[in-house]
Amino acid sequence: MKKTPLYDRHVALGARMVEYAGWNMPVQYAGLKEEIAAVRNETGMFDVSHMGEIRVSGQGTGEFLDWLLTRKVTGKKPDQITYAILSAADGGTVDDLLVYTLGAEDYLLVVNAANKDKDLIHIEESLVSYKAAFADRKSEIAVVDESDLYGQVAIQGPSSLDCMLEVADQLGLNAGQKEELKELKRFRQMLVEVEGHDRPMIISRTGYTGENGYELYVPAARTGHYWDIFMEAGIEPCGLGARDTLRLEAGMPLYGHEMSPDINALEGGMSFFVDLDRDFQGKAMKDKVTRRQLALVSQTRAIPREGYEVYLEGKKIGVITSGTFSPTLDKGIAFGLVDLDTPEVGEVEVQVRKKLQPFTVVNPPFVG
Amino acid sequence: MEGLKFAKTHEWVKVEGDLAIIGLTDFAQEELGDIVYAEPEPEGSQVELEDIIGTVESVKAASDLYAPVSGEIVEANSEIEDAPEMINQAPWETWFVKIRMDDPSQLDQLLDKDAYDAFSEEEKA
Repeated sequence: MKKTPLYDRHVALGARMVEYAGWNMPVQYAGLKEEIAAVRNETGMFDVSHMGEIRVSGQGTGEFLDWLLTRKVTGKKPDQITYAILSAADGGTVDDLLVYTLGAEDYLLVVNAANKDKDLIHIEESLVSYKAAFADRKSEIAVVDESDLYGQVAIQGPSSLDCMLEVADQLGLNAGQKEELKELKRFRQMLVEVEGHDRPMIISRTGYTGENGYELYVPAARTGHYWDIFMEAGIEPCGLGARDTLRLEAGMPLYGHEMSPDINALEGGMSFFVDLDRDFQGKAMKDKVTRRQLALVSQTRAIPREGYEVYLEGKKIGVITSGTFSPTLDKGIAFGLVDLDTPEVGEVEVQVRKKLQPFTVVNPPFVG
Repeated sequence: MEGLKFAKTHEWVKVEGDLAIIGLTDFAQEELGDIVYAEPEPEGSQVELEDIIGTVESVKAASDLYAPVSGEIVEANSEIEDAPEMINQAPWETWFVKIRMDDPSQLDQLLDKDAYDAFSEEEKA
């Protein structure tokens, strides 16, 4: 099992460690409820060093990524981050990812840890198809796994900017960079040089909790240094358990649940992130939509879980893809994947153990 | 905890005459984390060994309690439905059901405290 640079710190903090995507990761420290409340009310921090980083660079990279992904990465501002879906030629989902621009024709793809290796293979294979299909385009593209070079810490919560500014000196930000941080918009990044390292730290205003927040991509060997700065500032360490509940409360999808090789991005509720007005590799998905997503809130104490069946008027219409108890709402919440022809209704039922329980259909996010 | 018996599925059993009072162990509540839902099987249910006698859910996971003995559920603790956090706070006092035992000799199959502690320690590792 792989360990992040912060493994010893998690163990010393008494975190419960679990295997996740081949990594030995903290699932919780003080407890899920406390950690979730910290992120919703103040600030919490996460070790997300397990995330994969794939660098794609060289002549023609922008055009290639435009074809590879469900959204264009070119024509954006240099500090703009793009959330997109990596889809297969048949339209199925390979991964969801963030694209950072490092320079001209130089991009960093931040991918799910569990998918990193298959993403690399998929991108390499797609590059071969791309070159064959577009022989007239100049492409000198290199695809490199840089995951081991980066550690990643996420600072999330309504007070996260205050927290970042409080420790800005320790993070190595100068006066101009502090101003830049204050003005940083959502899905934008800034680069901060790190003494003794040739690659800068990336600070982006991104996250997976639905709260305002920042993610720091730092040289792997320096991860502990940055983590300690936030620990000393009194920020609550939060585990993957809190992260998963926070993302579902925020109505965000998780690969392997809301999308998969078998669930395309349009079915998985991500049509906003799929630009069908242009050609891209997975565009076939548009003709393969047989299901759609419902966001559900429990009307009773029943808690929905992945795999539970969804019913309408006694007929099975689909399954729950992610479900949890939401401590913020004090209710069960879930995403369901149901037949496309399911009528617009305000209520469905979910089978929880032996009983059918009523759930209200809502517009996500559940919280926020 | 004196005199309690334990099942490998993490129930504790306290015997009072022909009644077996059953709850969830401290180890199990600790493993589950913040418990947000609890439901005992209803009074009057006839249960066989290892039938489900209750359900408990944390934020992340659902888990069942199983009958360590056969018999009739003569009392179900409905308080835990309104206050599931009691199971975290006082696992040894918070019971789910009381079963009138058909065959008290089934108790002999259960673990004593030392054996259960050793077993749960192994489960953890």
